[in-house]
Amino acid sequence: MYPARLIQRPVIHELSKNFALVTNVRQASVTEEIGLVSLELDGEREEIKRAIAWLEELGIKVEPVEIQTIEG
Amino acid sequence: MSDRPFFSNLKCRECGRLYPKEAIHICEFDFGPLEAAYDYDAISASISRAAIESRPKSMWRYRELLPIDGAPTVGAQVGFTPLVKADRLAARLGVKELYVKNDTVNYPTLSFKDRVVYVALSRACELGFKVVACASTGNLANSVAANAAAAGLTSYVLIPSDLERSKVVNSLVYGTNVIGIEGPYDQVNRLCSEIAGKYGWGFVNVNLRPYYAEGSKSMGFEIVEQLGWKTPRHTVIPMASGSLLTKIHKAYTEFAKVGIIDAEPFSVHGAQAAGCSPISTALKKGTDIVKPVPNPQTIVKSLAIGTPADGYYAIRTMKETGGSAEDCTDEEVIEGIKLLAETEGIFSETAGGTTVACARKLIDSGKIPRDESIVLCITGHGLKTQEAIHEKCGAPRVIKPSLREFDALVAGELADLAKLETATV
Repeated sequence: MYPARLIQRPVIHELSKNFALVTNVRQASVTEEIGLVSLELDGEREEIKRAIAWLEELGIKVEPVEIQTIEG
Repeated sequence: MSDRPFFSNLKCRECGRLYPKEAIHICEFDFGPLEAAYDYDAISASISRAAIESRPKSMWRYRELLPIDGAPTVGAQVGFTPLVKADRLAARLGVKELYVKNDTVNYPTLSFKDRVVYVALSRACELGFKVVACASTGNLANSVAANAAAAGLTSYVLIPSDLERSKVVNSLVYGTNVIGIEGPYDQVNRLCSEIAGKYGWGFVNVNLRPYYAEGSKSMGFEIVEQLGWKTPRHTVIPMASGSLLTKIHKAYTEFAKVGIIDAEPFSVHGAQAAGCSPISTALKKGTDIVKPVPNPQTIVKSLAIGTPADGYYAIRTMKETGGSAEDCTDEEVIEGIKLLAETEGIFSETAGGTTVACARKLIDSGKIPRDESIVLCITGHGLKTQEAIHEKCGAPRVIKPSLREFDALVAGELADLAKLETATV
């Protein structure tokens, strides 16, 4: 999920150009305040990890889709 | 008994696609969460109030509406906790008809988590898992450790490495493997999903999640039965992920669907702590986009989930039933704990204090009318979070072993006591 300041930046486009990954948007909801995107990343494990680190550096919160927090 | 299985499939909550009843939890098409689906026609033909009433007093009495195929292999005594008619608390809150669903005494680890773990581990056994696991900081870890021990399953509990020692002991005692992970809880979670995939273990809150979550419904079934087969007009429920709230709603709705009760209007309301209130904040703002809380700041650790998985569904449920959400400060949480303890003799953990405090606000603001029936869901025992109220309950008054000193100490209080006795007589 990404903050408002990044909504105009083509983050997914940049991601697929900078990393050897295939991207596929499965679900998305973008409002003035927040963008939520379910993004499938297909590629080498290490490349995926590098891509996630890059996204997080931009200020985007990345969660594996399999495990949203359901427990404290 | 019908030949058709009551629990038929897993089903995507977004697109409705059906999946087999395996250890999976995400729709392959839209990544929507999977949940248990039932053959309600078959259940309607088989279930009755009399049949339920004839069964032992545990949550297994609602077996047709729980997602396991055979009899449970884990925790057969879980559930059927008291529904207390809370007249003294009702008087203090200024309402006519109030009940407390008291899961502080749920068996065996004194929180409602035993309900969900019971179903998750029973299903894990049916699916052939030998190792079960979870990521947790508290109640869930205790419950998985205890119930796995009793069922003879190997268990792993993953926790943040800086968790307080006292919380860790409550899991270690059961002989579980406690693994501390360096880093914040988000990363513990991420590691869990990788482990679940690689080792093929049954993670109660990952790949067993559709089964796990259904266990919460039993709290709703019990409330209806204990009220004499009626839904309460209002139910106030603490929200962490928001799952419990959606499942209590599902329980009330399913009982009507299978003809156990007549469908009556009811509202579900959610309670959160102000230091981590992504769901109540979104509902109050009139949006269904839940904005994450990166650093929760509250004593209510068991509700401090910044990115609640069922937030969206909880908001939808509250809106659909005409319910509302509220949040309260840590001071109000402590007042709530004390109020419940002093009026009803029930010592709840911080989540219970949150429920009481938020209920009070909802009543005072008119969102819950004073003359309609209300149930408060109290989900865990206060002994689990004693540190939260240390030094907030006063201290004993110390005297020498002398009757004269005692006389002096209580002299001022005797007059009040006498008045009270006269009033009682």
